[in-house]
Amino acid sequence: MPPPPDKVPAQREDGQTPPVTEPRRPLKSSDRPAKTRIAKTNPAQQSLSLAPLTELQPDDPPAGAKRTGARQLWLCNHFPSLPLEALNARNKSMPDVVFENQQGNRRVLLASTRAERLGITPGLSINAALALAPSLKLEERNAEKESRVLERLAVWAGRFTSIVSLEPPDLLLLEIRGSLRLFGDIKALRQQVESGLAEQGFKPSMAIAPTALASVWLARAGRSVSIDDTTNLAGALSSLPLRCLEWPESVRESLNGMGIYCIGDCLRLPRQGFARRFGAARLLQLDRALGRLPDPRRSYRAPERFSEECELPEEQSDSEMLLEACLQLLSNLERFLTTRQIEVRHVQFSFFHLRAPATHLTLGCRQTGRKKEQWFELLAIRFDRLVLPEPVISIRLRSGAGQALQADEGNFFQTSGQRRNTSITRLTERLSVRLGNDGGVHGVTTVAEHRPQYAWRKAETESPGPRLPPCAAMSNHWHAHHSPLLLADIRRTSSLLLRRPLWMLPEPLALIAREGNPQYQGPLKLEDGPERLETGWWDGNGIARDYYVAVNTKGIRLWIYRNRHKEATWHLHGIFG
Amino acid sequence: MNDALLHLLKNPRVWRGSQPGTPDESLRESLRESLRESIQEASRGPAAYPTGYARLDGHLPGGGWPSYALTEILLEHHGMGELKLLMPALARLSNVEEPGPHVNRHASGGDQEAGWIAWIAPPFQPYPPALLQWGINLAHMLVVHSRQGIEALWAAEQALSSGNCAAVLVWSDALDNRTSRRLQLAAEKGQSWAIAFRPLEAATQASAAALRIALTAGEQGTDVRILKSRGGRPVTVSGVIHHYVQDYAE
Repeated sequence: MPPPPDKVPAQREDGQTPPVTEPRRPLKSSDRPAKTRIAKTNPAQQSLSLAPLTELQPDDPPAGAKRTGARQLWLCNHFPSLPLEALNARNKSMPDVVFENQQGNRRVLLASTRAERLGITPGLSINAALALAPSLKLEERNAEKESRVLERLAVWAGRFTSIVSLEPPDLLLLEIRGSLRLFGDIKALRQQVESGLAEQGFKPSMAIAPTALASVWLARAGRSVSIDDTTNLAGALSSLPLRCLEWPESVRESLNGMGIYCIGDCLRLPRQGFARRFGAARLLQLDRALGRLPDPRRSYRAPERFSEECELPEEQSDSEMLLEACLQLLSNLERFLTTRQIEVRHVQFSFFHLRAPATHLTLGCRQTGRKKEQWFELLAIRFDRLVLPEPVISIRLRSGAGQALQADEGNFFQTSGQRRNTSITRLTERLSVRLGNDGGVHGVTTVAEHRPQYAWRKAETESPGPRLPPCAAMSNHWHAHHSPLLLADIRRTSSLLLRRPLWMLPEPLALIAREGNPQYQGPLKLEDGPERLETGWWDGNGIARDYYVAVNTKGIRLWIYRNRHKEATWHLHGIFG
Repeated sequence: MNDALLHLLKNPRVWRGSQPGTPDESLRESLRESLRESIQEASRGPAAYPTGYARLDGHLPGGGWPSYALTEILLEHHGMGELKLLMPALARLSNVEEPGPHVNRHASGGDQEAGWIAWIAPPFQPYPPALLQWGINLAHMLVVHSRQGIEALWAAEQALSSGNCAAVLVWSDALDNRTSRRLQLAAEKGQSWAIAFRPLEAATQASAAALRIALTAGEQGTDVRILKSRGGRPVTVSGVIHHYVQDYAE
């Protein structure tokens, strides 16, 4: 659950700490007198540092201070070289230098270690950098790509904790107090996060502190510390330089002018004066960092649907190469689905061309799927027949609506019946994808119904196969015989039973009658019948028919009927086969 | 082993638990040979599925439909009794509980043989109540509607090689020598029985099918003409499928 957004009211200029309602925790009645007392004390006398504050309120620290400190533990990942790493993660070829375009003035933003060794430093103009190293690979900063990479990392970080907070452009915060027991201890968890990020090509500076802001500042300052307790916090923060607060340049300069260079100096200033000079917001920030005030954060919510685009390095029409790119997208999809524990039934590939409109390819799957092999197999079948008007420049994969993962009911004694049922679904999927008609691949089942055309219906193939009751027309004779029969058994049963043809026409075919005799490729000879069926009057599709078994001149046995309604018309309904 | 030990082992008074109790090497060798043969026999799968029509069985090599192979049924019109001819064998295949007597469960991997019956591009709708009467397990029926051309053959090949289908019935006008070979291979791979229905004119074309039969209308019912069978000879079996009334009204 994401904590609700910061509910801090508008900042007041009187330097007083505005009362903050802390979410999810009822305000204790004992808090109220304490708060009023804070308001009464003369703020001018109050210093910013923690020590005098506790002196003033020995019995009751400000609301939430101890509790938030004890409850939360934030791990902050600061990615100082994200502009470079983001480009690196996408393309395999790593640029040496990322530059920024400021009003036509292109300057180096970040340089790789290789470029730095050549003497290229941030701030250098591009021309100067190229003069130093002509073979330099340059790329412009792509802020959109960076934020996408950061979001991807946030999704990835979901494996460590349920509370992941993103702070663009370069911060990723994880609340890890709740996960410590699962991962062992702070050290083990930190190591896992670190190695996981390193695998993906990121090298963040990482810090752990009881408050989110403190962890951010520590990480920005490059102190890779792990502070577990609020009591050590003030000490750890006080030596940090002011630049890691990322306050505006003017504020920093005026503070520097007052001889204040680090957070510790700041904390020693009187509260009211500080608030008046530099704004209550900055005072609030300091209070939050020290854990005196709660600092609720919005938790990152990953998108519900998968959508990812893969840009091809060049125009591509080779199906092998395209399928390879699709496979890469599918494996990302699989990772996405596994992380979120959902499955999808539909995915859509879009192939973009330079000039022609995009080609879309939607794949559907009967069984919800998340395995990339399963999707790839379906894709490969459809891909053969896909006509691409032009070479492809990029491919996008989008998933349909996800649904909760249905865990397979494991059977302790794995029976072969289940195994077969799962794999027949794969066959039916393959067939329906290729044949392209939904409902063209189906199973069958009988319906207890006298009317021949309603005595069966299509069935799902994956339904487990309980033995279905035979149709009602037969049940009188049949109930003992729906176990497999041998021909001898069939012969023994009454002739009435077997008056159903193996082939059925989708619609009865009207037959011409000559002198009362029906004709079908010649005159028909009635062999058996009639079997009178008169039923279904209640739903408007009633029938009143006399069914006969007839044989034509070619020796083919047909199932025909004569309508008993108005005029006695003959119809062909089935072939005995 | 040294010679003394071998000498000792050849002594008839020495009994060895893990070996056949005969010291006679030649006899032992022949036993091994026969064992090897029977294993090979078993791994080849069932020899044949009995057709359920005793007179036809007598003329088919192995006494039934060739298993894991392609059978072609040539007919002039639909409804000549081609389904009736197949029903007893299909009923047995579709039921898990009753594998055929020839079926070697071990060799073909458990219950694989009692699998699905796929109907690919049937000319009409197979009618479930009638199938049920013939003892087909409807839970194992798979009907695939596709065009009766290459598409149907593709679907048949998929179904055959999937390993799920005990039998695959396909109606396609695009079957030729090359595609019949593919179906034959797919049937071997998926341990399945392929049945292709073709017009009577196809009799002159070459085919890789293990068994080709033609159905013609005869005096006492439908005659089965065996055109080609592996290890058998061409013969006409008359009146295999009786007239409707004769068949069931007793």
